[in-house]
Amino acid sequence: MTKIKLTIEGMHCASCASNVERAVKKVKGVKDVNVSLMTNKCFVEMENADKEEIKKAVGKVGYKVVGIEE
Amino acid sequence: MKNMTPEEHAQMQGHHHEVSIEEKEMNSWKKKMLISWIFIIPIVFLMLSERVLGIVILEENLMKIVILVLAFPVIFIFGWPTIKQGIRGLFTFYFNMDSLIALGTIIAYATGFLSFAGIVQDYSGVSAMIMAFFTTGKYVESIARGKAGQEIRKLMKLGAKKARILDGDKEIEVEISAVKIGDIIVVRPGEKIPTDGIVIKGESAVDESMVTGESLPVDKKKGDNVIGATINQDGVLYIKATKIGKDTFLSHIIQLVEEAQGTKVPIQKLADKITSVFVPAVLIISVLTFFGWFYFSKDLNRSLGIAISVLVIACPCALGLATPTALMVGSGIGAKNGILIRKGEAIQTMKEVKTVVFDKTGTITKGLPEVTDMFSSIDEKEFLKIAASLESVSEHPISKAIVNKAKEKKIKLVDVKKFKVERGRGIRGDVQGKNVLIGNRKLMSENKINFSKYENNISKLEGEGKTTIIVSVSKKVLGIIGVADEIKSDSLEAIKRLQKNGYRTVMITGDNEKTAKAIALRAGIKEVISNVLPEDKEKKVIEMQKRGMVAFVGDGINDAPALKQSNVGIAMGTGTDIAIESGDIVLAKGSLIGVVQAINLSKETFKKIKQNLFWAFFYNSIAVPLAILGFLNPVIAEMAMATSSVSVVGNALLLMRKKI
Repeated sequence: MTKIKLTIEGMHCASCASNVERAVKKVKGVKDVNVSLMTNKCFVEMENADKEEIKKAVGKVGYKVVGIEE
Repeated sequence: MKNMTPEEHAQMQGHHHEVSIEEKEMNSWKKKMLISWIFIIPIVFLMLSERVLGIVILEENLMKIVILVLAFPVIFIFGWPTIKQGIRGLFTFYFNMDSLIALGTIIAYATGFLSFAGIVQDYSGVSAMIMAFFTTGKYVESIARGKAGQEIRKLMKLGAKKARILDGDKEIEVEISAVKIGDIIVVRPGEKIPTDGIVIKGESAVDESMVTGESLPVDKKKGDNVIGATINQDGVLYIKATKIGKDTFLSHIIQLVEEAQGTKVPIQKLADKITSVFVPAVLIISVLTFFGWFYFSKDLNRSLGIAISVLVIACPCALGLATPTALMVGSGIGAKNGILIRKGEAIQTMKEVKTVVFDKTGTITKGLPEVTDMFSSIDEKEFLKIAASLESVSEHPISKAIVNKAKEKKIKLVDVKKFKVERGRGIRGDVQGKNVLIGNRKLMSENKINFSKYENNISKLEGEGKTTIIVSVSKKVLGIIGVADEIKSDSLEAIKRLQKNGYRTVMITGDNEKTAKAIALRAGIKEVISNVLPEDKEKKVIEMQKRGMVAFVGDGINDAPALKQSNVGIAMGTGTDIAIESGDIVLAKGSLIGVVQAINLSKETFKKIKQNLFWAFFYNSIAVPLAILGFLNPVIAEMAMATSSVSVVGNALLLMRKKI
C-alpha cells in the first residue's frame, strides 16, 4: 500500500471535490481517496495503481494535477 | 536526496517559492471580475434607462445587438472556464455548480437571439449580470478561503531557506536543501535554526513558539535537541544536523495538518450526500418549475425567468464549504498553539467525552526520573555499582536514572551475565558471579525475599510519590533506591481546569498504589489506576468506556494501543519527536494545558461547523422555494447565491476571534 499526495488545480466548489474523489476512486488499484478542497490536495492510498491513470482520470473530469508527492 | 536535480528539489519543497494555487485562483477570479464589470456597467445603464426610467437611448433592435455583443465576452470569454466545465459536467455526469451557472447563462443569452423573432423576452443582459455576480462571489470567496488557510500557510513558509555550515574552519552559506545529516551548522543570535539538530557547542535561549506554541524561550546547551525553524535568541549555537528535508519536526507538523484537511467530520456526511445529488436535483426541479409555470400561466417569459432563477440560486457550495472551512480555520488556530488535529472526527467526538485519562510518566510528569534517595546496608558506592551495572543493560527510564547516578559518582560498571527482564516487576542477572534481582515489592515477594527491614523507608518514599526500587543479591536485600519523576509545572493547573469544566480525570500508571496516589494528589487527580502493566492500559480504557467516552492522554510511544482504543487519543509529541500514527490529536509541546486547549478548540470548531451547516441548509430550503414561487428575479437570485457561500466562509473565519 502506498500513499501519494496530488496537488490539484481548478477545484472551486464542493461538487468539484466530490467529482475528483469519484473519478480517482474509479482508477484500478486505488483503495482510498480523500480530497481537501481547502488545500487543493488529494490523498490517495493505492496498491499498484498507475499514477498516469490517476492523472488522466482527474483531467477527464476537468481538473489538473500539478504535483505528485510520495 | 543526493541524486536530486535542483528542479526536483524545488518541487519537493512544494509551493514555498512559487505563487500558491490559492493566490493563482484569487488573481484569476479578480481579473475576470474586473474586466467583466467593465462590460456590465454599460449593459446595466442601457437596461435601467429604458426599463426603469423609460428613456430610449437606442432603437430596440440595436440595443439588443449592443447588449448581446457586450454580454458575449463576459459569458464566453471570461466565463469560459465555468461554461466549459459546466457543459462537460452535463455530458459526463460529473456535475458541479458550474453546470447550473452554465445552463442558466446560456439559456438566458440565447433568449437575446430568440427575442428578435418575438418569441421571448430578452434576458441576455441578465445572463451577463449572472456571470458577473458569480465571478464576483467567487473572488470574494477565494479571498475568504485564503484567509481561512493563512495560519497553515504560515507554517509551510516557516522553514529556513539557507544555512551556514562549517567546512573545515570556514563558514559557507548553502541552500537549505544542500544541508546533509552530520553537517555542523552555525546559528547566530536572531537567526533561524535551519534544521533539526543537536547542540554541540554554545549556549542560548531559543524561541520555539512558532512550532510548538510554547511562549517562553527554551534554554539550550550542549547535548540539547533543537527544532528547525525556531529562532536562536542570544548566543551563538553550533548545531549538528540530525534530521533534514521531510524528516524534520516542522515537515511532520505540516504533513499532519495538511492530511487532516482531507479527513471527514462525520456530521458532514449528510451534507456530502446532498451535494453529490444536488446539481442534478436542481436541474430537474428547474425543468419542472418551467413547465409548471408555463402550464398554469401560459407566460413563456415569466416561466423562463423563474426557471433560470431556480438554476442559479441553488448553492451546493454553502453546504460543501460549511465543514472544511471551519476545520481549516480550527486546524490553523490549533497549529499556532501547538495543537495538531489529525482527524476531523476527533472534533465531533470530543464533545461527547466525559472522562480524561492521563498516563503518568512523560505526560503528567516530566518523564525524566532521577535518583533522589538511597538506603543500603553496605558502602553506597559498592551498592550503586552492583545496581547500576545490572540496570545498564536495560532501556527503562528508571534504569537510566540509576546508571546516570553511577556516572555522576564516577563509578566503573562491571559485566552482566544472564540478564532478564521481569515484565512490570523488574530485572535480574548475574553481577560479579552473584544473582542480582532488582525491582518492586511484587518481584521480591514472588521470589520470597524478605524486605521488612526497609519497610519504613519504602513507605516514606512512596508517600512522597517516589518509585522505590529494591535491590537484592543472592536472595538478600542489599538496599533500596528512591526515584522521583517531577511533575510538569502546569499539570496541576490543567487538571484543575478540566475538573472545573466537569470532566472526570483519571491517572493510570504501572507504579504501586501508594506512589501513584502521592503523585496524583500533587497533580490534583483523585482517581488512580495503579499497578497497570503497559499492555493492560488498553483494557482499562475499554472498561472506562462502558461509562462514557474516554480521551486518553499519553506520550505516544508505549501508549499507542490505549491511544487508539480511546475515543479521542491525545498524543504528546515530545518536543523533537512526533508520534504521528498514534493520536487523533497531537500536542507539539509537552504541557497538559494543551489538553485543555485541544478540548476547547474542538468544541468551538464543532460549534462553528454546526452553525455553518444550519445556515447552508436554511438558505437552500428557503431560497429555492422562493425562486420556484417566482419571488426572485434571476439577478437577485445569483446575488443571494454568491452571498450565501461567502457568508459560510466568513462565519468560519469568526472562529479566529475565539480564545482557546
